[in-house]
Amino acid sequence: MFSNQQINLDTLPSIADVDLKPISKQYLKIIIFNRLVFYGIIGFVLFIAKIKVSHPNFQLIFWYLFSAVLLFCILNLMGAIFAFKKRKYAIRTHDVIYSKGLLVNSISVIPVSRIQHLEISRSWLARRFNLGTLKIYTAGDSGIDLRIPGLKYVEAKQINDFLSSKINGAD
Amino acid sequence: MEPIDFSQPSRQSSKGILVIFALHTLKFIRRYFVVFLALGLSVIKEESFSFLTPSILTLIITGVVLLILLFAILKYLNFKFYLDKDQFHLSSGIVNKNLTIVPKSKIQNVYIKQNLIQQLINVVSLTIETAGDDKAEIEINALNRANALELKKQLFVKKQIAAADSVEDISESSVYFMVSTKRLLLEGISQNHLKSFVIIVSFVFGLYNEFKDYLQDLGISEQLQSSVNFETGSLFNLILANAFIVVLAILISTLFSIISTFISNFNLKVIENNITIEINKGLFNKLSLILMPVRIQNIIIKTNRLKQALGLHTLSIKQAMVNKKQQKNFKIVALEQHQVAHLVTKVFPLYNGLGPFDKPDVYYKRRLIFRSIIWGLFVNGLALVIFGNFFWSINSIIVPWLALFVHYTYKKSSYQITDKYLTVNSGFIDRVRNISEIEKIQSVQIKQSIFQKQNNIASVHIATASDKVKIPCITEKNAKSIVDYLLFKIES
Repeated sequence: MFSNQQINLDTLPSIADVDLKPISKQYLKIIIFNRLVFYGIIGFVLFIAKIKVSHPNFQLIFWYLFSAVLLFCILNLMGAIFAFKKRKYAIRTHDVIYSKGLLVNSISVIPVSRIQHLEISRSWLARRFNLGTLKIYTAGDSGIDLRIPGLKYVEAKQINDFLSSKINGAD
Repeated sequence: MEPIDFSQPSRQSSKGILVIFALHTLKFIRRYFVVFLALGLSVIKEESFSFLTPSILTLIITGVVLLILLFAILKYLNFKFYLDKDQFHLSSGIVNKNLTIVPKSKIQNVYIKQNLIQQLINVVSLTIETAGDDKAEIEINALNRANALELKKQLFVKKQIAAADSVEDISESSVYFMVSTKRLLLEGISQNHLKSFVIIVSFVFGLYNEFKDYLQDLGISEQLQSSVNFETGSLFNLILANAFIVVLAILISTLFSIISTFISNFNLKVIENNITIEINKGLFNKLSLILMPVRIQNIIIKTNRLKQALGLHTLSIKQAMVNKKQQKNFKIVALEQHQVAHLVTKVFPLYNGLGPFDKPDVYYKRRLIFRSIIWGLFVNGLALVIFGNFFWSINSIIVPWLALFVHYTYKKSSYQITDKYLTVNSGFIDRVRNISEIEKIQSVQIKQSIFQKQNNIASVHIATASDKVKIPCITEKNAKSIVDYLLFKIES
């Protein structure tokens, strides 16, 4: 029969109490490396342009451009380093939580029963550091798919196995 | 009627050749339209292609037509389907042979459509949609209406018996709602004409861009300019001309809205079956859609002040795994309030729409104001570039508009979470109500910017398989308890 008991909101398990775990510190190196490569390429292109382009105007603004790129690079790196501390995750019995972002912080929760499939992907650099990215997909294209980068590969595998067994066990 | 046997491999109606032929000819013309035009223009101007005498041209066209016809016939001959106990088989392909097998239980939707050509030769097309990406879709181009209905019935009925031992669904069906011409006309008039206007403008711009070169070649733009360029005498003339343009734009937009409403919703009929809801509509493209309440993720009810006064409500129904183009069609316009309520309870049996609604924090208003100011500054900057020193005059429109925007957006924003359903109201001109079933929520997310953090405010984003709703700017404590509650509901 249909019953409709009142639920005491205070007794529900709260995401505020969850102890979120930071991702592997090694991942910061990957982030920094990627950013440095990106800005390195821009700087390189600028220098090539300085040598090839002989227009006087370009020579004038070159140093402005260069310092702007440098400034962006430093700001971006600082942002990445500060935001890195915000990248945290937790696995509960019934859901996966991932929190990230410094300026705009977001906490995403995906219930295990809604997971469609899982994927671990590893870039070349991540393999060097023994890391992996766990991707969690839900149904539908508008869903918030979760992507947890910078997990230790062993740990990513463990989580993957745990979640897979839970999904398969459910039905 | 004697049940038609689909268990033997059969072709579609022989009229299918005609339909396939027409479709491919159209596709061919559409693809090479620009090329034709360029060719035609250069032939007219006798620049080159002097070898293209009329006889050779006729020969080429005949050749192409014959080729398409041959292709259509081959395609028709190689297109066979049959239905066994629980699977639908389809073999197709001229050179590359494809065999598609769809288990009945995996069929999401079956549509019956009829475009202009099909209406002329009195056949219908049947589309079978499965879960998965857009390509996993089967379309049978030409079937007799009776055959199509029977096939649809067989595809659905057996599945339901197998799935839930339910009573035969088709047996009890009644027409619940039929739109009248008057209501459709009202619906068309009370559309958002700004949207139509944008569509028209972008269409004209697109055309212009495509044919800019040809137009310049033909000297049309000069002619246009000279005819538009009236003698800039008095200010009065200028104002009159502008007013004329505005009135013309409004008229054309209104006409466009009415016509498009009529074309897509002509003869709109909602048929209520035992379990499912069926929508029939369309003038050139006749559609017949079946909605399964189990698959429906959320419902959006849209109206605005004018429409509400006229008793017009639009109901959009979102199902999971339906491609974007089709999604647009799950829309029932011109419903009365009580009809909306009836259909909603058909889909969400326990929904009553009663109870108090909660409002976002006042912070939301502050954020709207802040965003409006930024937007206003941006528009002012733009105006400075376009209009020069008179840019400030646009503020007489922009400022009240933004003030109204902030006021109404905040006023209309509210949410309600009950035992089974989540309702979020939003909108500025429109009044949008989004209802989703808590059980069908896929994921939840709390978002908080650093400004919000200082004020202990957060937003909650909630995703179902077909849509995403947002409860903006509520207190952090509330946001967390909402998330906790929803998760508890989903997971227990």
